[in-house]
Amino acid sequence: MDSKGQAAKTSAILTPAPWMPRHEGWAALPRLPQVLGAMLFLAVAALGTHLTQDSFPEPSGLFLFFVAVLLAAVRFGFWIGIATAIAAFALFNFLFVAPLYTLAIAKPGDLLVLAEFLCVAGLTGFLAGRLREEANAAKSRAAVLEVLSAFATDLAEADEPLAVEQALVIHATALAHGPALVLHDGNPDATDLQAPDLQAAERAFRRHTPQDAAEPGQQGGRYTFLPLMQQGQVVLVLGYHRLDAQRPDRFARAAAIEVICHQANLALERLRFAQAAEEARTAATREQLRAALLTSLSHDLRTPLATILGAITSLRQLGASLPPEARDDLALAIEEEAQRLANYVDNLLHMTRLQAGLALHLVWVDPADVIAAAVARAHRAFPLAEITADLPDLPMIRAESALLEQSLFNLIDNAVKFSTPPARIQITARAQAQTLTLTVTDQGPGIAPEALAQIFTPFFRANPSFPGTGLGLTICHGIAAALGGNLTAESPVAEGHGTAMHISLPLPKAAA
Amino acid sequence: MTKPLILIVDDEPQIQRFLGHALAASGYDTCFAATGQGALEAVAAQKPDAMILDLGLPDLNGKAVIETLRAKSNLPIIVLSAHDQEMEKIMALDLGANDFVAKPFGIGELLARLRACLRKAPQPEDILRQGPLVIDLPGHTVTRDGAPVHLTPTEFDLLVMLARNPGRVLSHRQILLQIWGPAHGEDVPYLRVFIGQLRQKIESNPSAPDLIRTEPGIGYRWMAD
Repeated sequence: MDSKGQAAKTSAILTPAPWMPRHEGWAALPRLPQVLGAMLFLAVAALGTHLTQDSFPEPSGLFLFFVAVLLAAVRFGFWIGIATAIAAFALFNFLFVAPLYTLAIAKPGDLLVLAEFLCVAGLTGFLAGRLREEANAAKSRAAVLEVLSAFATDLAEADEPLAVEQALVIHATALAHGPALVLHDGNPDATDLQAPDLQAAERAFRRHTPQDAAEPGQQGGRYTFLPLMQQGQVVLVLGYHRLDAQRPDRFARAAAIEVICHQANLALERLRFAQAAEEARTAATREQLRAALLTSLSHDLRTPLATILGAITSLRQLGASLPPEARDDLALAIEEEAQRLANYVDNLLHMTRLQAGLALHLVWVDPADVIAAAVARAHRAFPLAEITADLPDLPMIRAESALLEQSLFNLIDNAVKFSTPPARIQITARAQAQTLTLTVTDQGPGIAPEALAQIFTPFFRANPSFPGTGLGLTICHGIAAALGGNLTAESPVAEGHGTAMHISLPLPKAAA
Repeated sequence: MTKPLILIVDDEPQIQRFLGHALAASGYDTCFAATGQGALEAVAAQKPDAMILDLGLPDLNGKAVIETLRAKSNLPIIVLSAHDQEMEKIMALDLGANDFVAKPFGIGELLARLRACLRKAPQPEDILRQGPLVIDLPGHTVTRDGAPVHLTPTEFDLLVMLARNPGRVLSHRQILLQIWGPAHGEDVPYLRVFIGQLRQKIESNPSAPDLIRTEPGIGYRWMAD
């Protein structure tokens, strides 16, 4: 297999384990510093006894040794406690009990002292050790719980599979006290794993079962591998460094690692479902848009066609029986509907072109010419509307005049449609700094604030009872953007009525 | 003689406009409604003789209008619908619409449908004639150019049902329910076989039938002259 390809599929994140104190049980064997410590205690006790033996009676010296035994047992455990007890007895006997400087025991009662020392040392060492053991276990449990809780927090924040995997590796590392890694492929030969570990990882992928490095038959592997399964497939395999066999909490830690694997698996599944849901939502939106386009096509192409065909067949077949006014009206209806159809087809073509991202053919254009053309077209379409253009001298711009004209015509069309007849539409233009702004203002009722934000959305219609496709403004917006500019709506413009649509276009430097 | 009053229900003013002129020139009076609710009110107030109903209305669905009307009247209804709204057409017919015209349409087609719908229900005649075809109902015999045509009883019933509704579309379901009964409402392939046999026996050119016309996906129409 191509190891480069593997490397891409395999993400391994290794972090060093934090230092943790070695575990100490009540019966832990003594180590050198502890022995030295116990000897220091005894020396202090002997010195104290020596210094005070003139002013205090004998039992106070015994008491100092007693304290030394107690401290050694508490501090260093059972075995050192016992050894200290024997040494203390011997030292005390040697230094302070007659006959001095011999180990001979003169009084049988002194043996009782030895027995007391041993009892105190043994019991104290045992209890202190147990206490320490429990404290360690509690600390370890707390550490595990802390990891689990931190992991749960990380998972809740993870919004992609990689984040889940990173959290899994980090927390498995903390739990295992050794490196951990995530493998995605059955042949993880791009990692720095040794041969036995590679084989174990491969088995975990193939057999879908955990491979515990501590179990026999693992041929000295250093890693334990846990597969994460979803729908009978291995999603990934977590490898973590074999737990220290000396640690009494290794089973709890192994269990905790399994728990975080399970949680990670659930999180990955949740992300997968979320992604699927997101995809379904996107598809539904796309479908909705397509359905809206189809409905619009079917309605807005058919209605003019139905009128044209119906009127023409009426003229041809009933021509003789139609009064002249009716004939004129039918002819006018045909003209109007053909015009409407042409405009709709223009819009559709422009939209298709914009959506397809076809390159524009920008040429030098006089904005006044384009405005004049749009106004002339609007005059033909709406003979009753009062459309005025009040223009200063304007610089030339780089644009495609057909697109700009369509955009202006759509704005005028909209303005007329939503005005109370006779519509009064005003077109103004202003060149300022690097921007040319063309504004179409009407005196209609204005746009409701909640609709204002949506008017450029395809197929959105603020008032569905007006005829229209909900595409006009979308196309204007698209055209303005394609020409490097912007389209904004302002409503109301005066005393609660009127709408102004501003097309802003960049002015080329040469012309500015 | 008063002119028949036609109610035109369409939300498109341009459609209303040309239909108004065309129907007026064809000898009808017209009234208009732009909504389903308006249509129901106009039917109650003006008592039209027939209704032309666009299925895509802004408020009530056209089918709801038909359903409401059919509960109390036999007013002839012609629905206007788009070509691809086949289900809509079928449902409208099954709900009791008399016929349909697909948009866009020539005025001649609509006027022909209108005439067929307004034709007074034929008196129960004993003899039905269509071109060279003569159907003798009491005698249960059919002749074509004087020569006897041998039909099975089911073929005969089918022929009579079609011929009694000249110019009007009959949906698959309507035919199946009447000739074969309620259990066979969906057996369209079955019906197709019988129509094929019938055409073999009565049409002069069965592959280009001019008596029984197929309305694809909808049903069959008996072509009156």
